[in-house]
Amino acid sequence: MTVMAPLIEVTLRGMLGRRRTVLLVLLAGLPVLVALLIRVSGGRPDAERVLDTLVVRFVMALVALIVGTAVIGSEIDDGTAVYMMVKPIARWRIAVSKAIVAAGLTAVLVVPAVILTGILLGGRGDAMAVTSAFAVACLVGGSAYAVAFLALSVFTSRAFLIGLAYVLIWEGVLAGLLEGTKFLSIRQATLGVAAALGVDVPGDPLAPPMSVLVLAVVLVGGLLLASWRLARFEIRGGD
Amino acid sequence: MTASPLPAVEPTPVAAATPALEVDHVSRWYGNVVAVNDISFALGPGVTGLLGPNGAGKSTLLHLMAGLLAPSAGRVLVEGETAWRRPEMYRHIGLVPEREAVHSYLSGLEFARLNARLQGVADPDAAAARAIATVDLTDAADRAIGTYSKGMRQRAKLAGALVHEPTVLLLDEPFNGMDPRQRLHMMALLRSMAAAGRTILFSSHILEEVERLADSVLVVYAGRLAAAGDFRSIRRLMTDRPHTFTVRSSDDRRLASALLADPAVFGAELIDGRVLIRTADYDAFTRALPQVARASAVSLFEVAPTDDSLESVFSYLVRR
Repeated sequence: MTVMAPLIEVTLRGMLGRRRTVLLVLLAGLPVLVALLIRVSGGRPDAERVLDTLVVRFVMALVALIVGTAVIGSEIDDGTAVYMMVKPIARWRIAVSKAIVAAGLTAVLVVPAVILTGILLGGRGDAMAVTSAFAVACLVGGSAYAVAFLALSVFTSRAFLIGLAYVLIWEGVLAGLLEGTKFLSIRQATLGVAAALGVDVPGDPLAPPMSVLVLAVVLVGGLLLASWRLARFEIRGGD
Repeated sequence: MTASPLPAVEPTPVAAATPALEVDHVSRWYGNVVAVNDISFALGPGVTGLLGPNGAGKSTLLHLMAGLLAPSAGRVLVEGETAWRRPEMYRHIGLVPEREAVHSYLSGLEFARLNARLQGVADPDAAAARAIATVDLTDAADRAIGTYSKGMRQRAKLAGALVHEPTVLLLDEPFNGMDPRQRLHMMALLRSMAAAGRTILFSSHILEEVERLADSVLVVYAGRLAAAGDFRSIRRLMTDRPHTFTVRSSDDRRLASALLADPAVFGAELIDGRVLIRTADYDAFTRALPQVARASAVSLFEVAPTDDSLESVFSYLVRR
């Protein structure tokens, strides 16, 4: 853990204090703002619908995408990753440190957004139960997204675009049309966890055991793939 | 340096005792492009210059030695162990990369401390302060690296590479952006570290830098090792190669005839209103030319070497 602490610290400092922070806070604040507008305008408060449509389908995935692809991908792109790679540190420790930052930041941004949105809107049933279920689902689902995008960023410099295409095209369109491919969707697995915790999730999400399995595979598989790739890290550029 | 004597276009045999750095028939290619082509040498304590023009393969070679690139063929050993995919090796190596990127939001001292902590140094604060003092950056130690000049960034990078007191130091174009005073300080520092038994390899495309600092030199051109060994021997090779001059005078024809009688000259021809002269002895020719011109009552208007670029010197060394 002694070498992971400085890795986590420097990654956090790199992630915060930039324009990225403002963008992330605005993004995470969006569902809260929408909830506030619904409340103020006297609209019908429906926590499940807003949390599903806005947080799980949009905010959580995008926050995890921005954070997950940046924690190590931006260091590889700007060349500062070399200072971490020329150290006597097992590569899995680097992957785990970066994953802790990516998953942690995603959770810090998304979970409060879920709770505030849930409190503002209430729910059809027990408002706090719905909000708590979504908070837990987003904690796990957001971590899975973040680790998946982190792993992607170690393989390609186009991780953000590929991740965006996955969220918008695959999960947004194709996974809904192709019934048998839901197990390839982190969003469906996240909704499956929320459903398992008693939320009346719109549509037909993955079954709870399958959801847990999918998220576990993404988390563990993402870390293993990132570690494997980092062990074969090759510097870009130079003559 | 434990590398072979000249002529060194041939691969250098590896020394019997375990050298700090050993490059054994290493090649690296990217698709069809060969960046490093069958290079072998071994290095021990001292300062070695890795000389070559831009694009010669110097950075690729340094990255191979730093375990940041996998050799396509051959092997790189650091302290007798393979460099590729062996993070423990970094206890022995310090790397100063050419790319300027450093964590701009950290101060110089924080950057050095970060490197010390990642190296697992027992007292990172003391190690960082020592390294910052060594590179003469104490006055700016608490300023963010983003505010540093290029030369200061180079020194901050060097401090980061020194915190764990490595036995092997690899520096990629370390003098880039440094002013003359900083350059002299860095050279003195590297010399003292070499005297303390460290193996130091630095790349440069500037002959004078290598000449002033390095005991030994590796000349790389077009991905190949053109020469390796004692700097003075390589310098002599560079000086003794055939040279070509163009001369403009009051009577080119008479001057050409007179010069052909001089033993230092082996060719003279009239081209575009000038005399093109080929000589195998740079010093003898430059001494003889004014004497021959005076004896022939010819006035010299212009004397210009045609092939004195470093590129042509490297090209000549590879062709030998």
